[in-house]
Amino acid sequence: MNEKEFAGKLKPWLERGAASVGEMQAVRLKAARLRAMDAYREPVRLFGLVSMSASTAQAIHYGIVQRALLFVPLLALLAVLAVQSLGVDADLGELDAQLLTQELPPDAFLDQEFRSWLGKSQG
Amino acid sequence: MSDFLASVERRAFKQAVFSVQEQESALDIVQDAMLRLAEKYADRPAAELPLLFQRILQNAIRDHFRRSKVRSTWTMLLTSMGLGGEDDDADPLETLEIESTSAIPASPQSQLEQSQVMEAIEDALKGLPARQREAFVLRYWEELDVSETAKVMGCSEGSVKTHCSRATHALAKVLKAKGITL
Repeated sequence: MNEKEFAGKLKPWLERGAASVGEMQAVRLKAARLRAMDAYREPVRLFGLVSMSASTAQAIHYGIVQRALLFVPLLALLAVLAVQSLGVDADLGELDAQLLTQELPPDAFLDQEFRSWLGKSQG
Repeated sequence: MSDFLASVERRAFKQAVFSVQEQESALDIVQDAMLRLAEKYADRPAAELPLLFQRILQNAIRDHFRRSKVRSTWTMLLTSMGLGGEDDDADPLETLEIESTSAIPASPQSQLEQSQVMEAIEDALKGLPARQREAFVLRYWEELDVSETAKVMGCSEGSVKTHCSRATHALAKVLKAKGITL
Protein backbone atom coordinates (compact mmCIF):
# COMPACT_ATOMS: atom_id res chain seq x y z
CA MET A 1 0.00 0.00 0.00
CA ASN A 2 1.50 3.33 -0.98
CA GLU A 3 1.44 6.59 0.98
CA LYS A 4 -1.66 8.02 -0.71
CA GLU A 5 -3.66 4.81 -0.39
CA PHE A 6 -2.83 4.52 3.26
CA ALA A 7 -3.76 8.16 3.91
CA GLY A 8 -6.94 7.67 1.90
CA LYS A 9 -7.93 4.86 4.24
CA LEU A 10 -7.26 6.97 7.32
CA LYS A 11 -9.27 9.94 6.07
CA PRO A 12 -12.76 8.47 6.66
CA TRP A 13 -11.77 7.69 10.23
CA LEU A 14 -10.57 11.24 10.74
CA GLU A 15 -13.80 12.57 9.21
CA ARG A 16 -15.79 10.35 11.50
CA GLY A 17 -13.84 11.62 14.49
CA ALA A 18 -14.52 15.21 13.44
CA ALA A 19 -18.21 14.53 12.92
CA SER A 20 -18.54 13.02 16.35
CA VAL A 21 -17.21 15.84 18.50
CA GLY A 22 -19.15 16.25 21.72
CA GLU A 23 -22.38 18.22 21.75
CA MET A 24 -20.90 20.85 24.02
CA GLN A 25 -17.96 21.36 21.67
CA ALA A 26 -20.29 21.57 18.68
CA VAL A 27 -22.35 24.27 20.42
CA ARG A 28 -19.25 26.23 21.31
CA LEU A 29 -17.90 25.95 17.78
CA LYS A 30 -21.20 27.25 16.44
CA ALA A 31 -21.07 30.14 18.92
CA ALA A 32 -17.53 30.92 17.80
CA ARG A 33 -18.67 30.89 14.17
CA LEU A 34 -21.55 33.25 14.91
CA ARG A 35 -19.18 35.56 16.73
CA ALA A 36 -16.87 35.55 13.73
CA MET A 37 -19.82 36.33 11.47
CA ASP A 38 -20.66 39.32 13.67
CA ALA A 39 -17.24 40.70 12.81
CA TYR A 40 -17.68 39.86 9.14
CA ARG A 41 -18.93 42.53 6.76
CA GLU A 42 -19.66 42.09 3.10
CA PRO A 43 -16.78 43.35 0.93
CA VAL A 44 -17.34 46.75 -0.72
CA ARG A 45 -16.05 48.15 -4.01
CA LEU A 46 -14.14 51.41 -3.76
CA PHE A 47 -15.16 53.73 -6.62
CA GLY A 48 -16.65 50.64 -8.27
CA LEU A 49 -13.15 49.38 -9.04
CA VAL A 50 -11.24 47.91 -6.14
CA SER A 51 -12.82 45.26 -3.96
CA MET A 52 -11.92 45.47 -0.30
CA SER A 53 -13.29 44.45 3.06
CA ALA A 54 -15.75 46.86 4.64
CA SER A 55 -13.45 47.30 7.63
CA THR A 56 -10.56 48.34 5.35
CA ALA A 57 -12.80 50.78 3.48
CA GLN A 58 -14.01 52.17 6.77
CA ALA A 59 -10.42 52.54 8.01
CA ILE A 60 -9.43 54.41 4.83
CA HIS A 61 -12.48 56.65 5.04
CA TYR A 62 -11.78 57.33 8.69
CA GLY A 63 -8.11 58.07 7.90
CA ILE A 64 -9.04 60.62 5.23
CA VAL A 65 -11.56 62.34 7.49
CA GLN A 66 -9.07 62.36 10.34
CA ARG A 67 -6.32 63.95 8.20
CA ALA A 68 -8.75 66.49 6.81
CA LEU A 69 -9.73 67.44 10.33
CA LEU A 70 -6.08 68.07 11.17
CA PHE A 71 -5.96 70.79 8.49
CA VAL A 72 -9.13 72.54 9.62
CA PRO A 73 -7.49 74.77 12.30
CA LEU A 74 -4.70 75.73 9.88
CA LEU A 75 -7.18 76.64 7.16
CA ALA A 76 -9.26 78.62 9.63
CA LEU A 77 -6.18 80.58 10.74
CA LEU A 78 -5.23 81.36 7.15
CA ALA A 79 -8.78 82.49 6.41
CA VAL A 80 -8.83 84.82 9.41
CA LEU A 81 -5.48 86.35 8.43
CA ALA A 82 -6.66 86.89 4.85
CA VAL A 83 -9.84 88.56 5.99
CA GLN A 84 -7.92 90.74 8.41
CA SER A 85 -5.39 91.87 5.79
CA LEU A 86 -8.20 92.81 3.38
CA GLY A 87 -10.00 94.57 6.21
CA VAL A 88 -6.98 96.81 7.00
CA ASP A 89 -6.75 98.02 3.38
CA ALA A 90 -10.43 98.78 3.31
CA ASP A 91 -10.23 100.65 6.60
CA LEU A 92 -7.32 102.82 5.42
CA GLY A 93 -9.08 103.72 2.17
CA GLU A 94 -12.25 104.55 4.02
CA LEU A 95 -10.34 106.77 6.44
CA ASP A 96 -8.66 108.67 3.62
CA ALA A 97 -11.95 109.17 1.85
CA GLN A 98 -13.59 110.42 5.02
CA LEU A 99 -10.70 112.78 5.72
CA LEU A 100 -10.78 114.30 2.28
CA THR A 101 -14.51 114.59 1.79
CA GLN A 102 -17.59 115.17 3.76
CA GLU A 103 -16.34 113.78 7.01
CA LEU A 104 -13.89 116.69 7.41
CA PRO A 105 -15.35 119.21 9.85
CA PRO A 106 -16.09 122.64 8.29
CA ASP A 107 -13.89 124.29 10.93
CA ALA A 108 -10.90 122.61 9.38
CA PHE A 109 -11.25 124.79 6.30
CA LEU A 110 -11.18 127.87 8.53
CA ASP A 111 -7.78 126.85 9.79
CA GLN A 112 -5.16 128.79 7.84
CA GLU A 113 -2.38 126.30 8.34
CA PHE A 114 -4.52 123.42 7.13
CA ARG A 115 -5.61 125.36 4.06
CA SER A 116 -2.02 126.24 3.18
CA TRP A 117 -0.97 122.58 3.65
CA LEU A 118 -3.89 121.48 1.47
CA GLY A 119 -2.88 123.98 -1.19
CA LYS A 120 0.71 122.77 -1.13
CA SER A 121 -0.23 119.08 -1.32
CA GLN A 122 -2.64 119.73 -4.26
CA GLY A 123 -0.08 121.90 -6.03
CA MET B 1 -18.30 32.83 4.65
CA SER B 2 -20.69 31.31 7.17
CA ASP B 3 -21.07 28.12 5.10
CA PHE B 4 -17.32 27.85 4.71
CA LEU B 5 -16.74 28.21 8.44
CA ALA B 6 -19.49 25.69 9.20
CA SER B 7 -17.85 23.22 6.85
CA VAL B 8 -14.40 23.47 8.42
CA GLU B 9 -15.00 24.19 12.09
CA ARG B 10 -15.06 20.59 13.32
CA ARG B 11 -12.03 19.52 11.32
CA ALA B 12 -10.21 22.61 12.50
CA PHE B 13 -11.13 21.77 16.08
CA LYS B 14 -9.81 18.24 15.68
CA GLN B 15 -6.60 19.51 14.11
CA ALA B 16 -6.12 21.87 17.03
CA VAL B 17 -6.82 19.06 19.50
CA PHE B 18 -4.24 16.82 17.82
CA SER B 19 -1.71 19.62 18.11
CA VAL B 20 -2.36 21.11 21.54
CA GLN B 21 -3.93 17.96 23.05
CA GLU B 22 -6.38 19.99 25.06
CA GLN B 23 -9.97 20.78 24.12
CA GLU B 24 -10.36 24.19 25.78
CA SER B 25 -7.29 25.62 24.11
CA ALA B 26 -8.29 24.00 20.83
CA LEU B 27 -11.68 25.75 20.97
CA ASP B 28 -10.00 29.07 21.67
CA ILE B 29 -7.62 28.56 18.76
CA VAL B 30 -10.42 27.75 16.32
CA GLN B 31 -12.49 30.70 17.52
CA ASP B 32 -9.51 33.00 17.12
CA ALA B 33 -8.80 31.69 13.62
CA MET B 34 -12.42 32.08 12.49
CA LEU B 35 -12.57 35.61 13.87
CA ARG B 36 -9.35 36.61 12.14
CA LEU B 37 -10.52 35.21 8.83
CA ALA B 38 -13.87 37.00 9.02
CA GLU B 39 -12.35 40.30 10.12
CA LYS B 40 -9.38 40.53 7.81
CA TYR B 41 -10.10 38.49 4.73
CA ALA B 42 -13.75 39.20 3.98
CA ASP B 43 -12.81 40.59 0.56
CA ARG B 44 -11.01 37.45 -0.60
CA PRO B 45 -12.66 35.14 -3.12
CA ALA B 46 -14.25 31.98 -1.71
CA ALA B 47 -11.67 29.79 -3.47
CA GLU B 48 -8.87 31.32 -1.40
CA LEU B 49 -10.57 30.80 1.94
CA PRO B 50 -9.46 27.20 2.68
CA LEU B 51 -5.77 28.01 2.24
CA LEU B 52 -6.05 31.29 4.15
CA PHE B 53 -7.93 29.62 6.97
CA GLN B 54 -5.32 26.87 7.26
CA ARG B 55 -2.55 29.45 7.41
CA ILE B 56 -4.35 31.36 10.14
CA LEU B 57 -5.14 28.18 12.05
CA GLN B 58 -1.57 26.88 11.93
CA ASN B 59 -0.27 30.29 13.02
CA ALA B 60 -2.74 30.33 15.90
CA ILE B 61 -1.51 26.89 16.98
CA ARG B 62 2.11 28.10 16.85
CA ASP B 63 1.17 31.19 18.86
CA HIS B 64 -0.42 28.94 21.43
CA PHE B 65 2.80 26.98 21.82
CA ARG B 66 4.82 30.18 22.13
CA ARG B 67 2.55 31.42 24.91
CA SER B 68 2.46 28.06 26.66
CA LYS B 69 6.26 27.97 26.78
CA VAL B 70 6.15 30.83 29.24
CA ARG B 71 3.27 29.25 31.14
CA SER B 72 4.99 25.84 31.35
CA THR B 73 7.92 27.37 33.19
CA TRP B 74 5.56 28.30 36.00
CA THR B 75 3.73 24.97 35.84
CA MET B 76 7.01 23.09 36.21
CA LEU B 77 7.92 25.26 39.13
CA LEU B 78 4.59 24.61 40.85
CA THR B 79 4.79 20.87 40.11
CA SER B 80 8.22 20.67 41.65
CA MET B 81 6.75 22.34 44.72
CA GLY B 82 4.03 19.67 44.91
CA LEU B 83 1.17 21.79 43.54
CA GLY B 84 0.72 19.92 40.24
CA GLY B 85 -2.26 20.27 37.90
CA GLU B 86 -5.23 17.95 37.43
CA ASP B 87 -5.11 14.48 35.97
CA ASP B 88 -6.06 14.85 32.31
CA ASP B 89 -6.40 11.18 31.37
CA ALA B 90 -9.07 10.74 28.73
CA ASP B 91 -12.04 8.61 29.68
CA PRO B 92 -12.77 6.03 26.96
CA LEU B 93 -16.44 6.03 27.96
CA GLU B 94 -16.67 9.66 26.91
CA THR B 95 -15.72 8.70 23.37
CA LEU B 96 -18.34 5.99 23.35
CA GLU B 97 -20.99 8.45 24.49
CA ILE B 98 -20.07 10.94 21.77
CA GLU B 99 -20.04 8.23 19.15
CA SER B 100 -23.51 7.07 20.06
CA THR B 101 -25.03 10.52 19.43
CA SER B 102 -24.05 10.77 15.79
CA ALA B 103 -23.10 7.46 14.25
CA ILE B 104 -25.50 5.07 12.64
CA PRO B 105 -26.53 2.64 15.36
CA ALA B 106 -24.58 -0.55 15.08
CA SER B 107 -24.12 -3.42 17.43
CA PRO B 108 -22.47 -2.43 20.70
CA GLN B 109 -19.58 -4.71 19.80
CA SER B 110 -18.91 -3.02 16.45
CA GLN B 111 -19.45 0.44 17.97
CA LEU B 112 -16.82 -0.36 20.54
CA GLU B 113 -14.42 -1.64 17.91
CA GLN B 114 -14.95 1.43 15.71
CA SER B 115 -14.41 3.84 18.54
CA GLN B 116 -11.27 1.95 19.54
CA VAL B 117 -9.90 2.16 16.00
CA MET B 118 -10.76 5.86 15.81
CA GLU B 119 -9.12 6.49 19.15
CA ALA B 120 -6.02 4.55 18.13
CA ILE B 121 -5.71 6.54 14.91
CA GLU B 122 -6.17 9.85 16.71
CA ASP B 123 -3.67 8.83 19.38
CA ALA B 124 -1.17 7.83 16.72
CA LEU B 125 -1.61 11.23 15.06
CA LYS B 126 -1.19 13.02 18.37
CA GLY B 127 2.02 11.08 18.92
CA LEU B 128 3.63 12.31 15.71
CA PRO B 129 6.16 15.13 15.76
CA ALA B 130 4.36 18.45 15.21
CA ARG B 131 5.69 19.15 11.71
CA GLN B 132 4.96 15.64 10.47
CA ARG B 133 1.42 15.80 11.84
CA GLU B 134 0.88 19.24 10.32
CA ALA B 135 2.09 18.06 6.92
CA PHE B 136 0.05 14.87 7.01
CA VAL B 137 -3.18 16.60 8.08
CA LEU B 138 -2.88 19.42 5.58
CA ARG B 139 -1.90 17.18 2.71
CA TYR B 140 -4.16 14.19 3.22
CA TRP B 141 -7.04 15.41 5.36
CA GLU B 142 -7.42 18.97 4.13
CA GLU B 143 -6.33 17.78 0.68
CA LEU B 144 -4.07 20.71 -0.04
CA ASP B 145 -1.49 20.06 -2.73
CA VAL B 146 2.23 19.98 -1.97
CA SER B 147 2.88 23.64 -2.83
CA GLU B 148 -0.13 24.85 -0.82
CA THR B 149 0.96 22.75 2.14
CA ALA B 150 4.46 24.21 1.84
CA LYS B 151 3.02 27.73 1.86
CA VAL B 152 0.93 27.07 4.96
CA MET B 153 3.85 25.44 6.75
CA GLY B 154 6.38 28.01 5.58
CA CYS B 155 8.81 25.40 4.26
CA SER B 156 9.95 23.89 0.97
CA GLU B 157 7.95 21.39 -1.05
CA GLY B 158 10.69 18.84 -0.49
CA SER B 159 10.28 19.18 3.27
CA VAL B 160 6.54 18.64 2.94
CA LYS B 161 7.12 15.41 1.02
CA THR B 162 9.64 14.22 3.59
CA HIS B 163 7.35 15.06 6.53
CA CYS B 164 4.41 13.33 4.85
CA SER B 165 6.40 10.23 4.08
CA ARG B 166 7.78 9.97 7.59
CA ALA B 167 4.35 10.62 9.11
CA THR B 168 2.72 7.92 6.99
CA HIS B 169 5.36 5.35 7.86
CA ALA B 170 5.20 6.22 11.54
CA LEU B 171 1.40 5.95 11.58
CA ALA B 172 1.48 2.64 9.75
CA LYS B 173 4.01 1.30 12.21
CA VAL B 174 2.02 2.38 15.28
CA LEU B 175 -1.27 1.03 13.94
CA LYS B 176 0.33 -2.25 12.94
CA ALA B 177 1.78 -2.60 16.42
CA LYS B 178 -1.72 -2.17 17.83
CA GLY B 179 -3.04 -4.82 15.45
CA ILE B 180 -5.22 -2.40 13.49
CA THR B 181 -5.74 -3.15 9.83
CA LEU B 182 -7.48 -0.54 7.70
